[in-house]
Amino acid sequence: MKKKAFIPFVTLSTAALFTLAACGSNDGEEASAGNSGNSGNENTEGSNAEAEQEDVTIDFMHLWPEGSSPDHHRIVEDIITDFEEMHPHVTVELEVLENEQYKNKLQVVSSSNQLPDVGMTWPAGFLEPYVNGELFTPLDDVLEDGMRDDFVAGTLDAYSVEDQTYALPLELNIAPVFYNTAIFEENGVEVPETYDELLEVIDTLDENGVTPIALGNRDRWTGSLWYMYLADRIGGPDALNSAIDRSGSFEDERLVDAAANIQEMVDHNAFVSGFNGLSDQEAKSEFMNGNAAMYLIGSWDLPNYTTNEEIPQEFRDSIDFFKFPEVEGGDGDIDSWVGGPGVGLFVSEDSDVKEESKAFVKHFTEEWGKRSVEDAGVIPGTQVNTEEVDLPDLFIDVLDDLNNASNITLFADVQMSSSVAETHLNMIQSLFGEEVTPEEFAETHEEALQEDE
Amino acid sequence: MNQIMSDKRVIALYTLPALLLILVLIYVPIVLTGYYGLMDWDGIGAMTFVGLENYAALITDGMFWSSAYHSLLLALFSVGSLVLYLAVSLVLSSNMKGADLFRKIYLIPMLLSSVAIAQLWMRIYHPTNGVMNRFLTTIGIENPPLWLSDTSIVLFAIFIPIIWQYAGFYIIIYYAALKNVPKELEEAAKIDGATPVQIAYKIKLPLIAGVIKVTIVLAVIGSLKYFDLIYVMTDGGPNGASEVMASYMYKLAFRTNDFGYGSAVGFFLLVLILIVTYLIRKATTSKEDEVQY
Amino acid sequence: MSSNTAAARTEEGVKIGSFRLRISRLILYIILGVVAVAQILPLIWLLLFSLKDNQEVFNLPPLALPSDPQWGNYARVWVDGNIGLYFFNSVVVTGVSVILTVLLASLVTFAITRMNWKLNKVVLGLFMVGLMIPVHSTLIPLFSFFTTIGLMDNHLSIILTYTAFNLPLTMMILLGFYYTIPRELEEAAIVDGCSIHRMFFRIILPITAPVVATTAIINMIYNWNEFVFVNTFISSDNLKTLTVGIQNFIGQYATDWGAIGATLVISMLPILIAFFILSNRIVEGMTSGSVKG
Repeated sequence: MKKKAFIPFVTLSTAALFTLAACGSNDGEEASAGNSGNSGNENTEGSNAEAEQEDVTIDFMHLWPEGSSPDHHRIVEDIITDFEEMHPHVTVELEVLENEQYKNKLQVVSSSNQLPDVGMTWPAGFLEPYVNGELFTPLDDVLEDGMRDDFVAGTLDAYSVEDQTYALPLELNIAPVFYNTAIFEENGVEVPETYDELLEVIDTLDENGVTPIALGNRDRWTGSLWYMYLADRIGGPDALNSAIDRSGSFEDERLVDAAANIQEMVDHNAFVSGFNGLSDQEAKSEFMNGNAAMYLIGSWDLPNYTTNEEIPQEFRDSIDFFKFPEVEGGDGDIDSWVGGPGVGLFVSEDSDVKEESKAFVKHFTEEWGKRSVEDAGVIPGTQVNTEEVDLPDLFIDVLDDLNNASNITLFADVQMSSSVAETHLNMIQSLFGEEVTPEEFAETHEEALQEDE
Repeated sequence: MNQIMSDKRVIALYTLPALLLILVLIYVPIVLTGYYGLMDWDGIGAMTFVGLENYAALITDGMFWSSAYHSLLLALFSVGSLVLYLAVSLVLSSNMKGADLFRKIYLIPMLLSSVAIAQLWMRIYHPTNGVMNRFLTTIGIENPPLWLSDTSIVLFAIFIPIIWQYAGFYIIIYYAALKNVPKELEEAAKIDGATPVQIAYKIKLPLIAGVIKVTIVLAVIGSLKYFDLIYVMTDGGPNGASEVMASYMYKLAFRTNDFGYGSAVGFFLLVLILIVTYLIRKATTSKEDEVQY
Repeated sequence: MSSNTAAARTEEGVKIGSFRLRISRLILYIILGVVAVAQILPLIWLLLFSLKDNQEVFNLPPLALPSDPQWGNYARVWVDGNIGLYFFNSVVVTGVSVILTVLLASLVTFAITRMNWKLNKVVLGLFMVGLMIPVHSTLIPLFSFFTTIGLMDNHLSIILTYTAFNLPLTMMILLGFYYTIPRELEEAAIVDGCSIHRMFFRIILPITAPVVATTAIINMIYNWNEFVFVNTFISSDNLKTLTVGIQNFIGQYATDWGAIGATLVISMLPILIAFFILSNRIVEGMTSGSVKG
């Protein structure tokens, strides 16, 4: 359990860590992580030996199938067993679906008001329609007794609408640029610290016949990461965020410049051939087999470069990461990241077993936070005590950088409403495919955003 | 005879169970799709009636028209490829040695699920490691096409696996139809000195004309509402270059929370299919034809 | 075939004709053989795919042998995948749906094409429209319908849905064949004092066996590989079918391709066997034999 000598890995006192344009900021957030040490409370609530209570079932839908995510699945099983022991009158029934099918089914069951008691949601743009439809119940009462402080500052904001929190995050990611140190050494290039240096690295690699960057832009959000970073490095976090929250414009010169830089990179043959038709997984394999030197992806991929036994040790040892380079003259800061929380747990507003479900979500989130990094390589939304966990160096480095982050901008497609996100993602493909000019790119975004208002 | 074959109770008994099934499970959704098309609805919360607004929006939606155009192109391609399937079926249904074995082999790809077919063709089309481009590079083509990322060819690149996927389906239907042609006719023609090609043209094809018409309709309908491989292989991209109506509808309904508008697209698709089917029927049905569909 | 044709010609003609025929037959066989190999390759690819690890799946050419065959993929699928139960469910759902569809479709097609009533064209039209609705438009209406009548999470919901959605297609394929059945056959049966039910089950159904087998194969493949309806209507793990076995290996950020390959191979075997058995039923021409007898 948590010790007094708690070393939070994020100790930011400002709620500005997450600049979430799409969601209202949460003023109730007090991000001083230090006082959360006394919250070993989950055993007291709900477990007052209510043996004579009526038997109830909590339906729980998640997206970590045993086959593809054995570690996740095992932790989930353990937590459920644990919870059922603490609450003998409760049975948890599982339904597990794969990501795409999960999203699909969630929408279908919502249309008939048949949501499971507990399920997983994504933040911001995904969550909003469910909140507006009054399908998720606010979980602020769960957070009241100090649990709020267990979360990394700002993560809850992504799940909040009008000062109420509707889900508790289980994942938190930032996107570093992973690179192959062996390839860098062979080609005599150094980690780039500026955009111009990055272009030089790209040119050298390209001349030597090495694919500089693996990018699977069929999935589109992958290309969006590159654009978001350039926008951040040129205009600072505000440029993009204010364009999205409509306090600014997407036709901001800095956002157009970022788009121009993307095309400059494409012209330098930065990305793997045929990237617009490759899935992220296909592109990743180019990086994993040593054909491509760099790969920008979320920290969820860390296990592949650290603990995953299926990957040759030699390869894992050769992987390191760097922060996205700065752009000369830009307003951005190298410690600003693109990232954000992933899935979180919601409780259905119409649940017949709301109290039990809330207790389950609370218990789940706390236990998940204790085990997920070490046992499944997932950085949880709750704070991790880096002193207590046994992790590979690369992991610790990422956690430390997350700790020192000056800002984390939520993935654009998550931040935007889903229809604007669709425009954004399509335009990303066109931008990378050089079918639109940077100006047209900005203009189309601006139109979509205006229409959505 | 006529009395027995007009027995109302028998007709009802034979027809009603199936009719009931499609009325409840297909017609109700069709009507509801039309109804949702009149709503502003994200598929989650409350609905607002907006009248024909969604349908009006369709008219100016460039993405919609380009996806409709792609679907129609696919229909055209599919119908064209029927000629090929028919030729193969004519050969396979002849009495040549080994035809039976060939037939079974030819139908194997039909058994693969879309997941497998998509994976296979993604390996074939891979820009650098793919079978296709490795071959092209070997024979000296330096910059082989980027099949799935070049917006000018992605649509045709994805038509090929779709047509390949359905080859077995049509071949098996043609094959069964051709096997149904009485052998006596063929033998008589042979004695008169007709060549195999003549027999095919003059005897077999006219006899299976009804089945051919059915397959034309099936190919058109199937193409207009086609979804599977496009969704897996390109997801309609890059930037809509391979979007078809069904994939566009899916995106609207399930990704961008625009269920009302997505339903309008779905309903429009249905109407379009009805119109096209009617036109085909008119074009292919002559007066003496008994076959109606 | 060649000897028959040649027999009617002059001696000189026999020599030239048979020589030409032989050459053209050889060419035909070569073409057929090449295509046959191309059609088998996907199976071999799938088999190799199932023995590769995630790296090799992407890095090796599709037909390259895995350096270290991952038989563990099969073990993993068997243990984690709960395959036995899914398999049983798939067989039940597919079997019942196929029988129900083919039987109902045959009954309706018989009533529409062979019996005399005024509304037969209208009813036929009603069924044909059923072909035209895109699957994804029906998900939300069907979900709420099955919820209302309490069939959610019950095999019946998917069996009925499969049957309803495959009826139009099945009927369309049957139609062309029913039209070719000679009227004399029914007249003779009725003169013999055969009841209409007996006539349908004892005469019509048997002589349509080839096309019934054809539609059964098509239905079987469709139902076996279907997953959208299963995922939407079934939530209990013990009621799901083999297609969810594939889903089990698709992760949030990464996918276990080798295991998916193994699942695809395992789930394809039964359909391959069923296909070979059923496809032998398509061989005999139906009218040629029955008219004479």
